[in-house]
Amino acid sequence: MESRAAPVLLTYRPWRGTLRGPWHGVLAIARTSLYLMLRRKLFWGLYSVSAMIFFLFFYGQYLLSWLDTQVKDDPIRLGSGLVGVTLKPKDVLPVLEKVLQLDGSGYTFRNFFNFEGQMIMIILSLAGAILLGNDFRYGSLPFYLSKPLHRWHYLMGKFLTVGFFINLMTTIPALVLFAECGMIKTWDYYTDNIRLLIGILAYGAVLTVTLGLLLLATACELRRIVPMIMVWTAIFVFGRLLVDSLLFFVRVDARLRLFDLWNDMYLVGNWCLGMKLSSIRVQPQPPVWEAAAVLVGICVVCILSLNRRIQAVEVA
Amino acid sequence: MENVDSRLMTNGSGGAREVAGASELRASRSSASAPILLFEQVSKWYSSVIGVNQVTLELRGGITGLVGANGAGKSTLLRLATGQLRPDIGRVTISGVDAMDWRAKRLVGYCPDDDVFYEEMSGFQFVEAMARLCGYTAGDAKARTEAVIEQVGMAGRSDRRIRGYSKGMRQRIKLAQALLNDPTLLVLDEPMSGIDPIGRQEFVELFMSLSAAGKCLLISSHELEELEKLTDHIAIMARGRIAAVGSVMQIRDLLDNHPLAIRIDVASPREVASHLLDLPEVVGIELCDPLPDETESNGLIVRARNPRKFFCDFGRLVIEEGFDVRRVESIDDSTQAILGYLLGGRA
Repeated sequence: MESRAAPVLLTYRPWRGTLRGPWHGVLAIARTSLYLMLRRKLFWGLYSVSAMIFFLFFYGQYLLSWLDTQVKDDPIRLGSGLVGVTLKPKDVLPVLEKVLQLDGSGYTFRNFFNFEGQMIMIILSLAGAILLGNDFRYGSLPFYLSKPLHRWHYLMGKFLTVGFFINLMTTIPALVLFAECGMIKTWDYYTDNIRLLIGILAYGAVLTVTLGLLLLATACELRRIVPMIMVWTAIFVFGRLLVDSLLFFVRVDARLRLFDLWNDMYLVGNWCLGMKLSSIRVQPQPPVWEAAAVLVGICVVCILSLNRRIQAVEVA
Repeated sequence: MENVDSRLMTNGSGGAREVAGASELRASRSSASAPILLFEQVSKWYSSVIGVNQVTLELRGGITGLVGANGAGKSTLLRLATGQLRPDIGRVTISGVDAMDWRAKRLVGYCPDDDVFYEEMSGFQFVEAMARLCGYTAGDAKARTEAVIEQVGMAGRSDRRIRGYSKGMRQRIKLAQALLNDPTLLVLDEPMSGIDPIGRQEFVELFMSLSAAGKCLLISSHELEELEKLTDHIAIMARGRIAAVGSVMQIRDLLDNHPLAIRIDVASPREVASHLLDLPEVVGIELCDPLPDETESNGLIVRARNPRKFFCDFGRLVIEEGFDVRRVESIDDSTQAILGYLLGGRA
């Protein structure tokens, strides 16, 4: 065979070092995905709302503790001038204690997870297309899949990003609230409420696994942002409305609530925090184990769906 | 150039079609090290449509051009080679490791045809992110990114956002990310697309230097002229099969039954034509106008089967009869012409 003269090597620099394993690639994928998320201004608006919920609880707990130390019959002046308001501690305390339940108990954290969960739903429905759908839709996957990674590593990287967001908005702030409670009450709060601490972590894990897998599975299938929003709205908003309506008007079996995915996570979280089923405002409720079984089933379906989808990445 | 198993040809339905030396090759293969890229009877379907049909291919180094019409299966072959597709039948290995395995991917660099980036990133950020995916530490990733950015001629321009890049700059960034892990096998899908002539020359030199450094390059391109500058070794795909692998001339020789068109300029064309018609290989002759720079000779276009034997007989005839031959030129052994033959005029 005719041989061609090769030019002199001027710029080629072979790599002589050692490369790390694919799990470091997972972290790199998560980092890149976070970068994509944090660049969107819309998301910063949603993070702000989420932060406001956190600060409501954070300062609410502090306010409750402070008011408790005041003479309850004497009015106190909060603020000054036009923005100032005069309050009687005995009027404010029940609102903070009974309605918001800012007393550092399981109710506090259950409410906190519930409120933050609404924000997570919105953010994840918007984030699915950016995090994952666009890679499938526009064909960025070859860049990832040609690197020394398995497809599951790619999905794991994306899952880490989703998990980071969920925990950033739920578990981590809840832990901060837990720490705050101990500081404004007594140090015994920490030792007396170990079960609560574990419950917070477990509730966060339930949300992370369920919502993370659901987001990956739906984003892989739907890819575009509008269908993602529609499906998540159907699952978490219309599904709940439908179940509530049926239970209110037709009075069917409480197990119908198992179709309300958010309620299932709420029930399992409630159990994790050590709260009684009867303490839930909306009644009747199905047994916790049935809700947990539904969540496990959904996770399995999502994993199977992801497995099928990543085998078919080639035709994306 | 240590270019490949150029003697091994493939043919899906009829099994391996081999030219001379294939048996010796097989015998030596067992003792030789594993080839860089090996396709063993690989088929891939997209539901009922076959993308790649019983392809057997072995690359050991150098540059191999991959050409074929749209839909011939080139991209599928490249994706199989880079471990992005799992073959339905057969096996693809990179240096003996299954191409789907992440360890095999460490040996592969892939420059896809699509330039779908994260547009809000700068070129440097994108390549650095890809470097982290390869397993580099933060410091190494930065150093390696700087090196490959310089290699592809993007130094000084890589801090701009990809959104504002031209097609050529995007090509360079894609090539940069493919070079990150210092791959043994570099798979490039239309790498010259959108590159200006100066850039093309730079790319050609870079590819040649990589080849000289012992890398194996598999380059898919519609730019046959560019491929011919890079390598004389090509693989031609048609309808999911590799129709031929080898140098342009080797493939031409294989097309024994397809007449080769040869222009012969002589002083007495009619006399030469009458002698040539006696040769069994010649299937047709036509007279043509002389070339602009020729005033004393006329041209003949001879169509002959079995070119090797024809040239042998023609040489003997010229010596025996003392013909005044001014020029002999094969006018259809260009890659384009051969591709046209193999693909039935669809090249």
